[in-house]
Amino acid sequence: MKHKTVLLAVLISFTLFSCGEDFLNKTDPTRLVEGNFYQTEQQMEQAVNGVYSQLQDIIRNQWQYNEFITDNTTLHFNPSDRGQGPSLEAIEFWQINPSTSNINNLYNSYYQTLVNINTTLAKLEAASFEESVKKPFEGQLKFLRAYYYFNLLQYFGDVIVITEPLETPEQAWEYSRQPVAQVYELVESDLADAVASLPVSWDSENVGRITKGAALSLLGKVYLTKKEYNEAVATLREVTSLGYELLPSYADVFDPQKKNHIESVFDVQFQGGNELGEWSDFIYTFAPRESVGAVINFPGQSGAGWNIPSRDMIAAYEEGDLRKEVSLKEGYTSLEGEWVPVPFINKYNHPHAIRGRTDDNWPVIRYADVLLMLAEAINEVSGPTTEAAGYLNQVRSRAGLDPLNNLGKDAFREAVLQERRVELAFENHRWFDLKRTKSPQELADFLNAYGDFEKSNPTTSRSGIPFTAADFVFEPHEVLFPIPANQILINNNLTQNEGYK
Amino acid sequence: MKRVKQSPDTGLGAMWKSMALIFLLGLCFGSLYAQHSVEGTVLDSASREPLPGVSVKVKGESTGTSTGPDGRFSLEVQSQEAVLEVSFLGYTTREVPARPGQPVSVLLSPDNESLEQVVVIGYGSKRKRDITSAVSVIDMEQIKDRPVSNINNMMVGQAPGVVVKQNTGTPGEELDVKIRGISSLGAGSAPLFVIDGFAMGTSAGRNLNAADVESITVLKDAASTAIYGARGSNGVVLITTKSAKDDELSLGFDVNYGIQNVPASRRVEMMNGVEFAQYKKESFMDKIRYFEGREPSIEEVPEDYRYPEQTPYSTDWMDEILHNNAPFQDYNITLSSGKGLVKSMLSINYLNQAGAVIETGFERFNIRANLHGDINKNISLGWNIAGAFFREQYAATNGRDAIIGSALWADPREPVYNEDGSFNDYIGGHDGVFGTANPVQEMKEMERNRNNADLISNGYLEIRFLKDFTFRSSVNARLINEKMKEFRPSTLAGRGFDQPPPREAWLSEGQWETLNVAADQVLTYAKTIGDHDFSIMAGYSAQEETGKSLTAGGNEFPNDIVRFLGSAERVDAGSAEASWSMLAYIARVHYTFMDKYLFSATFRREGSSRFGINNKWGNFPAASLGWRVSEESFMDNAGWVSDLKLRGSWGVTGNNDIGNYRSLSILNPANYILGGGFASGQVLGAFANTNLGWEQSNQVNLGLDASLFRNRLYFTAEYYRKITNDMLLPIEIPVISGFTTTFSNIGKVQNTGLEFALGYRTSVNKVNLYADLNIAFNRNKVLEINGENDEIRSGSFYSTYNVSRPGRPIGMLHGYRMLGIFNTEEEIAAWPEQDGAIPGVYKYEDTNGDGIISYDTQDMVEIGNPHPKAVWGFTLGGDYGNFDFNLLFTGAQDYDVFRNIEATTMNMDGVFNILRSGKNRWRSAENPGDGKGPTTNTWKWERESNSRYVYDASHAWLKNLTVGYTIPTFHNIRVYLSADNLLLITNYPGNNPDVDQRGGIQPGVDDETYPVPRTFSLGASVKF
Repeated sequence: MKHKTVLLAVLISFTLFSCGEDFLNKTDPTRLVEGNFYQTEQQMEQAVNGVYSQLQDIIRNQWQYNEFITDNTTLHFNPSDRGQGPSLEAIEFWQINPSTSNINNLYNSYYQTLVNINTTLAKLEAASFEESVKKPFEGQLKFLRAYYYFNLLQYFGDVIVITEPLETPEQAWEYSRQPVAQVYELVESDLADAVASLPVSWDSENVGRITKGAALSLLGKVYLTKKEYNEAVATLREVTSLGYELLPSYADVFDPQKKNHIESVFDVQFQGGNELGEWSDFIYTFAPRESVGAVINFPGQSGAGWNIPSRDMIAAYEEGDLRKEVSLKEGYTSLEGEWVPVPFINKYNHPHAIRGRTDDNWPVIRYADVLLMLAEAINEVSGPTTEAAGYLNQVRSRAGLDPLNNLGKDAFREAVLQERRVELAFENHRWFDLKRTKSPQELADFLNAYGDFEKSNPTTSRSGIPFTAADFVFEPHEVLFPIPANQILINNNLTQNEGYK
Repeated sequence: MKRVKQSPDTGLGAMWKSMALIFLLGLCFGSLYAQHSVEGTVLDSASREPLPGVSVKVKGESTGTSTGPDGRFSLEVQSQEAVLEVSFLGYTTREVPARPGQPVSVLLSPDNESLEQVVVIGYGSKRKRDITSAVSVIDMEQIKDRPVSNINNMMVGQAPGVVVKQNTGTPGEELDVKIRGISSLGAGSAPLFVIDGFAMGTSAGRNLNAADVESITVLKDAASTAIYGARGSNGVVLITTKSAKDDELSLGFDVNYGIQNVPASRRVEMMNGVEFAQYKKESFMDKIRYFEGREPSIEEVPEDYRYPEQTPYSTDWMDEILHNNAPFQDYNITLSSGKGLVKSMLSINYLNQAGAVIETGFERFNIRANLHGDINKNISLGWNIAGAFFREQYAATNGRDAIIGSALWADPREPVYNEDGSFNDYIGGHDGVFGTANPVQEMKEMERNRNNADLISNGYLEIRFLKDFTFRSSVNARLINEKMKEFRPSTLAGRGFDQPPPREAWLSEGQWETLNVAADQVLTYAKTIGDHDFSIMAGYSAQEETGKSLTAGGNEFPNDIVRFLGSAERVDAGSAEASWSMLAYIARVHYTFMDKYLFSATFRREGSSRFGINNKWGNFPAASLGWRVSEESFMDNAGWVSDLKLRGSWGVTGNNDIGNYRSLSILNPANYILGGGFASGQVLGAFANTNLGWEQSNQVNLGLDASLFRNRLYFTAEYYRKITNDMLLPIEIPVISGFTTTFSNIGKVQNTGLEFALGYRTSVNKVNLYADLNIAFNRNKVLEINGENDEIRSGSFYSTYNVSRPGRPIGMLHGYRMLGIFNTEEEIAAWPEQDGAIPGVYKYEDTNGDGIISYDTQDMVEIGNPHPKAVWGFTLGGDYGNFDFNLLFTGAQDYDVFRNIEATTMNMDGVFNILRSGKNRWRSAENPGDGKGPTTNTWKWERESNSRYVYDASHAWLKNLTVGYTIPTFHNIRVYLSADNLLLITNYPGNNPDVDQRGGIQPGVDDETYPVPRTFSLGASVKF
């Protein structure tokens, strides 16, 4: 009896663990694995949605590189938080160098989403779905790839172009920077594909996806930036026939209650008020850092005090411009009833139910932008024609301003740039607008003049801490950001932009 | 020879009298019988020479003496037929009958027991003299008198190359164990713990009752650890638990009670209320003086600071959150029964330790039953089962934002309580002083509990057959269930400006369950044929672990009373599961010829679920040789050499401590909003690397063991060189791949070292003494990472970097080299450009010589080496009559610690309270201070990671002192006084020079943490 029991125990212990290779195959049960994903139409759609999700992250930080760096905004200097010295403040004060962490973050975030675009495109190509299923997916992905490379070349100049997923990590060392012209080739061909594959509008369940109008608008912007004005005019004119209109009220453009309206060409979607994790929180970044519930309506809630409208920006609005009050506030009344003269961006300041979770979408392209681009392009081709002035004045009239007529070509160009500054204020257009319309030296002179102005009388108090000599000194080479130092350290095939070491 | 006289009336000497006060009980016996005298001589059995200092005791009585220079003794016995217990270090103890009036002659023979001692090794055991690899056996005899509640504590300072450090003073905390240095840049560096043959992982846990431990063996070189394959790289700690000795029947009780506190000398001195107000006042005035070049008026100082001497309160927040007499108690009951078919050892332990920080504590309850039965002479069965339950009240204590850090920097001008007795609920947060919740209130009102239940079962069956074969099958299982709950009520303020309560309350709850099952089948064949002695072992091992978790958080509670998820306005919950598995085939051959020439080889082939599909299996061979020189005939004349052995070993081990799913390209959810509704999405989470394989270490070890002078002096020396290859490293890859890092097998790290252990035992008069010194010199060097220029940099600009670079040790401290303080504008102008520098800030070195000290890492260089040149332990102990004592010293020499908390406590902008030494800061060229504290006029060039915060942390520490007294007349009850961390000799300004808060490849950073207390305890143990 006893021996039998023993024998049994031995047998059990052997059988329990005498298992083969299968015993060693473990996969993470909480997540999907690449090997068995990208198979079905639904999985492809999820892969595309994932790419949109990464766009949210890029948009969350975009203000740093497109507004904060310009004359539009500044910061409320915080002497107690010096942690941002080498990162955010380096951008504001034009002390960017190859080690500036936020430039590194920018560079990384673009390639980190490009891998998903490239992988999904490759899997789509290999998939056996109908073309009618594949095309809209491809169109959305190619639009985003074009958007990213277009931004990358404006930020960094020559960049690495990668359009396929890598098989092994080693391949990542085989790439080097491509001339801007070649990057443009990819951008244009991707956008042409997007225009051809995307619908003018989506059904109600898919509102928010990229449309043909968005692709045309971006392509128009690419041509405008390349100074190919005829192509720009032709492309942007196509957008005017797609049914977009300006909303009568400027405030409505940003109202979360009226999302995805007729003026919206491409918005990044966010949703607050729930547990879905898809909220935005722009006002929490932009609200003054000592506002304590006076700007964001939650007890004790302050913002981070970044991207504060500069004195120069506030002065840029004409008398009677209805957009000023919507776009910014020059200060706020504290809960103790005191007026605090710390300005802040108001465009994304809307009531929301849950602390930290706002419902605001981010406008990437809207029809007013298209109209102003068209005005700018026509002016370059054939001077300030009635058509060009018409587009400009359409935008001005909604803002409650008188039309501008009989301007010369140069004055008209300036007027459009000024109009873009106030119409599209704090929507991340300023940096590229300045770069597009000014040579590096002109831009340096322009920004240094602004810098001197800001230094002579800062928008907000600096708590007695003076500026340093290197603050607000812009050199022409700084029109391009440096390639992040650690990327060059890893791969010495990579060259650095001129002027940086 | 002096006769020792004892009579009922006068036998109590002065010393006895004082002891009598304490040990009244013991006294009642001892002196009730008539006395008779016994005399004799003790001689060495071989040389017939008299032995002085030999202890002679009467068995069962308190009487004892020791022999004089001529080997003679004389003592009083209470009965006509006494038995004398004659013992002497290095000799076998003898019991001889004695009758009064008949002189006895006792022959003692040298004791070789320590060489015959059987040592537990991986999947088996071996006689100590046959060991040919680097194995340290913790001398349980030497540490048994020291009260210890934590298993790792038993290893402190006991073996060379086994560095056991107490990183923090958290009650019940596990100590940090590292064997022969940090050998990997990517995987963990903790050893494998094997308890009763069950490989538990890289931690012994907090649940093992130290009183249950029978033996601890530390396997250090690859030859000894290769049998554990991919888990052997960092060394292996083998622990066995007690079982009943044959025919033993005993019941033992141990009790230990003590108090803990952080002595004033180990606390950091911050400014008091008046000093801080004065400091703030001066800083306002100095700013005006510097920036406006004029003398300020008193009105320009904010009202709060205008008259510092009138500051109404002064609170030492650290003092407020420390418990000055935090009690602990530890009770053990052990029942051993070695009679009958089933031998059993049952034990119960209860430990309750309050923390040196208020509202923290650890309470543990353990039970264990170790059963062993010999069914017949061929079959044995055994089952060990141990259950533990602990309850911990904890706090977040690491870093400046946690409780210890904030108690340092909180505004000292604030009282703990308001006048009505309620808490002053927001400290600072105005007048430019950073705000925090009241540290005392936070400790009292935050709820933070962790419960852990742990059940371990080891079952085995052993069958001996065909005379020389043994088959052993064992099944081990462990089930851990842990629960955590944290609630932060709305009454607690936030950290920072304008964060007064009420704040949003939050709750966090979690539950974790881990099941680990392992089974080993081992067949052994052992045979001796003439001078040939050999054994062969082959086996098979499998193990699987699965962990599951359920975590949830709740925000916004209608009140602070009902603290459950159901009351939260918002709830966020998640669950997860992860597992790994391992299969291995093992084999070992031992061969000994004439007890002189020793050979051993092992092999393990192991597969792991953690590696890429193309690389699941790894091979781990090892071999070792030994030569017992002392057995050679040419050594016959060297009688003073009891044992001399030379040995050498080589082996390959691995390290799989890299997490579970590294080789897979997993997808992470990344969702979006479309059509106003949720749209689920997925993005790639990692670069798939199907080739991901084994990190391997090659280790060579040369050793020498010597026992001299009849085993009184022993000496061990080791040399080793360990090279770790193909480390599982998150290497940086160009981000165009879509990822900044990927795991790869890359890089090389070398550890070379020398280890020495020296022990001596002697008797001087009636005092038996033993002394043990061990010291280890480890040199660590990164040979290669990914190409020559690569580096691994962790940390940040304001809180130090640890940088690992080829040619240098792992994790060197990096920052600016601070050369002094600028006194004048001229000095600044003459120095390479430091943008924004003003007089009074640190002067940094332009190390790259480009004329600019840039505000990034370009000019940062090595500023400290966190690896000690030498780590040592020294034990001194002995006994005198019924007294015993034991001192344990540990130390580490020549290494640096970056005291990162000083970036806060010497942050001169007045946002935080600062060190009292900040009074001697730079104020003007005429008043430049102590050269350490910079000006209060700016923030830049003062708190960046720099050499100013680097301190030499060399130290010597009296870790333990225990003095005991055994009352022989009452069941050998032993009472003792013990003190832990009694005396620390160091120049390091922080609480604990052993601090290693970030761990891994970020050694030597002190962010401030739970202080290590000093402990005094009183205990007793008795066995019936």
